[in-house]
Amino acid sequence: MSAALYAALSAARHCAPGCSEKDEVWRSGKLRLYRYRSISGLPSAVPLLIVYALVNRPYMMDLEPERSLIRGLLSRGLDVYLVDWGYPDGADRFTSLEDYLEGQLAGCVEEILKARGVAALNLLGVCQGGVFSLCFAALHPERVRNLITMVTPVDFHTSADLLSKWARKIDVEAWVGQANVSGDVLNQLFLALMPFRLSHQKYVDLLRGEPDRARIENFMRVERWIYDSPDQAGAAFREFVVWFYQQNRFVRGGLEIGGRGVDLRNLELPILNLIGARDHLVPPASSAALRGLVRSSDFTTLELDLGHIGMYVSARAQRQVPAAIGEWLAAR
Amino acid sequence: MAEGSSTGPPGTPTGFAPFIDAERFAAAARAFHQGGQDSQTAAAFGDFLRDQFGGVLDRMWEGSAPGRPAPPAPDAPALGPTREQQERWQRVAAAWQRLQEAQRRLQRLWSDALAEAARAFVSRMSSAAAPLTPEALHGLYDAWVDCAEEAYARMAHGEAFGTALAETVKAASDWRDESAASIEPWAKWLDWPTRNEINSLSMRVRALEQQTAARPAAKKRTTAAKKRAARVRRKR
Repeated sequence: MSAALYAALSAARHCAPGCSEKDEVWRSGKLRLYRYRSISGLPSAVPLLIVYALVNRPYMMDLEPERSLIRGLLSRGLDVYLVDWGYPDGADRFTSLEDYLEGQLAGCVEEILKARGVAALNLLGVCQGGVFSLCFAALHPERVRNLITMVTPVDFHTSADLLSKWARKIDVEAWVGQANVSGDVLNQLFLALMPFRLSHQKYVDLLRGEPDRARIENFMRVERWIYDSPDQAGAAFREFVVWFYQQNRFVRGGLEIGGRGVDLRNLELPILNLIGARDHLVPPASSAALRGLVRSSDFTTLELDLGHIGMYVSARAQRQVPAAIGEWLAAR
Repeated sequence: MAEGSSTGPPGTPTGFAPFIDAERFAAAARAFHQGGQDSQTAAAFGDFLRDQFGGVLDRMWEGSAPGRPAPPAPDAPALGPTREQQERWQRVAAAWQRLQEAQRRLQRLWSDALAEAARAFVSRMSSAAAPLTPEALHGLYDAWVDCAEEAYARMAHGEAFGTALAETVKAASDWRDESAASIEPWAKWLDWPTRNEINSLSMRVRALEQQTAARPAAKKRTTAAKKRAARVRRKR
């Protein structure tokens, strides 16, 4: 490593993610609901709630001014809320998917609807948050006006889905036991999907060319995000792996949350499905399967030449994704 | 008493204490018998018996404290007051062994993938004999990563890797659970809360929270039912 690169990395080691101003508007247990401050005058009448995944932290949506999906949405006049699930600890080991969906997410939605005096909001679900958004919209169709799913797995048994192939063989009951699942262990599993690229090549790439400050700072913010992996509440994790990865219940049916059936055929609302053509974590075919499972007559698929993480932070995503979402919502 | 009747193979120092005691007793008794059974040999035999059995009471108490006995042979039968501790220890050791074996299977597959990647990379290299500028070196490195990821992906999507990974996860889970179970008696002995106790309390709190959350909804339903009944009565 050159002295210049070492100095640049050292200088960037304290780079904090997050750039847009926000206010905490509701909390429940470790969950925090944030509302972002408008940067374009009056916000739109229908609020947009971003539902992020339980794995990794949601600040990836607002990493830095030049790479912030949230900033892009705010600049298009959208009224943006974000669910931050927090860091589960040992006391959360029995928290189930029902708790997350019918307790915490439903609580966020009710709070927003009450505060804004509207009957329904727009949902933007990211990755596992997209799965949650699909479940919520199917359970409470009257509460969701438009649904946007981003890099969201739907068919968990597509041939390119390496994570699913592994998950189907693992004894999840034994793995979880009565404990939480370590975020670090999960991270190792994600890195093992492409071990040479994700744990080696990306560092070697830093050695190419002069250490550009903006590039190094961006790298360090993403690096921090990647390894900022909350532990997973044991019960919810077990349910998620068994119901979705192993039993593929969106496709095969039989999904129940809190004793109520979740059937994607109940979805008739407008849907925008954003797919990363180079997504190594959620294969494009897995997301694309949504089209054949819902009844929405207003269904838009937008496949972009991006990877899973690139969908939120790449320069191309900043140009394409907020614009696509803003225009799609404006038309509805 | 037969020679070598301890619980381990002959010569193993970790035999079951009563069996070892019995062998020593037999040797001392033979010496006493052959020594003419006079008062001096009788006294020596009496001292031996006091020494030999002086620890029996202590060993009985050992079963009530969680101290770790000497690691037994994996298949040694567990007997006496420390049998529970011995079995726990054997389970931890067996789980650890399964974990190591599973990791070796994964390592072997990983090594196979690397060998395949290296063959592919070398064949690509020989067909491109460019001078090694820094850019060319980076290009070579990228080519190696491409070869490695391709070979790894073929292996990782295969049945053998998935099975080996699942076995590793299962063995690691078993080892964690057995290790936790072997530590739990220490917490009990020190009167510290155990994980099982905390889990039990957590579930009670959770049940209470669910009851509390359900109460307003139930109250709402009861109130609505009462109002409906009152309306019906008024109509009559």
